[in-house]
Amino acid sequence: MNTIAVQLLNIKKEYSIHHEKPTLVEKFIRSNNERFIALHNINLTIAKGERIGIVGPNGSGKTTLLKIIAGITAPTKGSVKTQGNIVSLIDLQAGFHPDLSGYKNIFLNGLLLGMEKKEIEAKCHSIIEFADIHQFIDAPMFTYSSGMALRLGFAIAIHADPDILLFDEGLSVGDKNFQKKSSKKIQALMKKKLTVVIVSHQMTLMKKLCSRFVILQNGSILSDGPKSTLSRYGY
Amino acid sequence: MKRGINHYIELLMVMTEKELRARYKYTVFGFLWLIINPLLQMLVIGFIFSFFMKSPMEYYYFYLFTGLLIWNFFSLSLTKATPSIVFERSLIKKAMFPRMVIPIAIIASNLLHLFIAMILLMIPLIFVHPISFMNIIFLGIGFILLLMFTIGLSLLTSALNVRFRDVTFFVQALLIVWFYATPIVYSFMVVPKEYHWLWIFNPMTSIVQFFQYALMHYPLPTLSICVGNIFIIISITIMGSIIFQKESKNFDDWI
Repeated sequence: MNTIAVQLLNIKKEYSIHHEKPTLVEKFIRSNNERFIALHNINLTIAKGERIGIVGPNGSGKTTLLKIIAGITAPTKGSVKTQGNIVSLIDLQAGFHPDLSGYKNIFLNGLLLGMEKKEIEAKCHSIIEFADIHQFIDAPMFTYSSGMALRLGFAIAIHADPDILLFDEGLSVGDKNFQKKSSKKIQALMKKKLTVVIVSHQMTLMKKLCSRFVILQNGSILSDGPKSTLSRYGY
Repeated sequence: MKRGINHYIELLMVMTEKELRARYKYTVFGFLWLIINPLLQMLVIGFIFSFFMKSPMEYYYFYLFTGLLIWNFFSLSLTKATPSIVFERSLIKKAMFPRMVIPIAIIASNLLHLFIAMILLMIPLIFVHPISFMNIIFLGIGFILLLMFTIGLSLLTSALNVRFRDVTFFVQALLIVWFYATPIVYSFMVVPKEYHWLWIFNPMTSIVQFFQYALMHYPLPTLSICVGNIFIIISITIMGSIIFQKESKNFDDWI
């Protein structure tokens, strides 16, 4: 059995900087593109069940790394291999359509996250229950408060049965009550052999959840090791 | 990979449903709009053009309506699909899913409209022209080519529009000219022979003519136009799919 969940080999990600929306004319006038290297020669192997925290200052390439693991964007160079269903809690409210009911949005969002229709039907009740939406589920999404929408987004994501779960800052959603419920759910999920990658600045929470830490700086891996290595770099 | 063709179809259906629901939310006439629109166009164009026509065309209003339905499907799909990737940026940034469903769902929702309108058109037409087996064959070919071309071109324009937002404006400008370059308000028979070759470059010519043959018993496109048009349709479809596939990996970087 393969025990590797994510394998990144020699990843390089280059962005061309666009100051304004590019137009055809601009493209022909200025052919020399400004380039920005977001990630540089990244090698990272994550075993199944590992819980990794990615830390580093702003602009060090944390989110780009997460996007590459999620498959949202492709690396300029290098190869990405992943095994299992990846669910990213990157933008929880994204993908909701304001004119559709909460119920319809569960299907839309769930399918986007890679769930099957039957699976969503089976889990629908539990999702609504978890998000605490109840009687509003037939109302169009634009009537929801932002807290409700976030809760629903979170509920769908964790019901998508992920093998690999990616967090980008969004660890705390909703009110205290819901935060407690969601962290309980995350911890329960972690007991199953779930691979987790967290990008955050909330060090206390990360230290509680993660067992391995990758420190990024200027697009390269500065250090990779257990909790004890963190203090060396001032985290 | 967990996601098979089955998942793709389910996703496409839900996205199409979203398109349809979002479009007709809070409208009084709802689906009726899909008939009212071409009907109005037909009445105005039919009335005006009857002044110019040297010899009146047989069942001109039906002829117009057939062409307008096809054209409206094509132009509406293209105008809505071209900026669709940019509009749905939040979906792109959220998860990895086949990006193609975004423009194709728009086309699918328009296709449903076309089907309904087509059936409504065919009911009175049956009394005018009996439909033969050959008519149905060409109706099918027309539909396949129309769908291929619309999807292929939409994939191309929507992928390019991510980097070059001018594409949206280009498409809008092009469609206005394109409408007159397609035999919708006029019959291809009025085009002088020495200019026929020009229509080889407009794939919509054959498509519209297949429908006009099937429903109105107008002549089929000539072989050279037909071959040229189908060649362009196939090339654009292949090119559109390849470019979309290649560009879709990096959509996130540009929106």
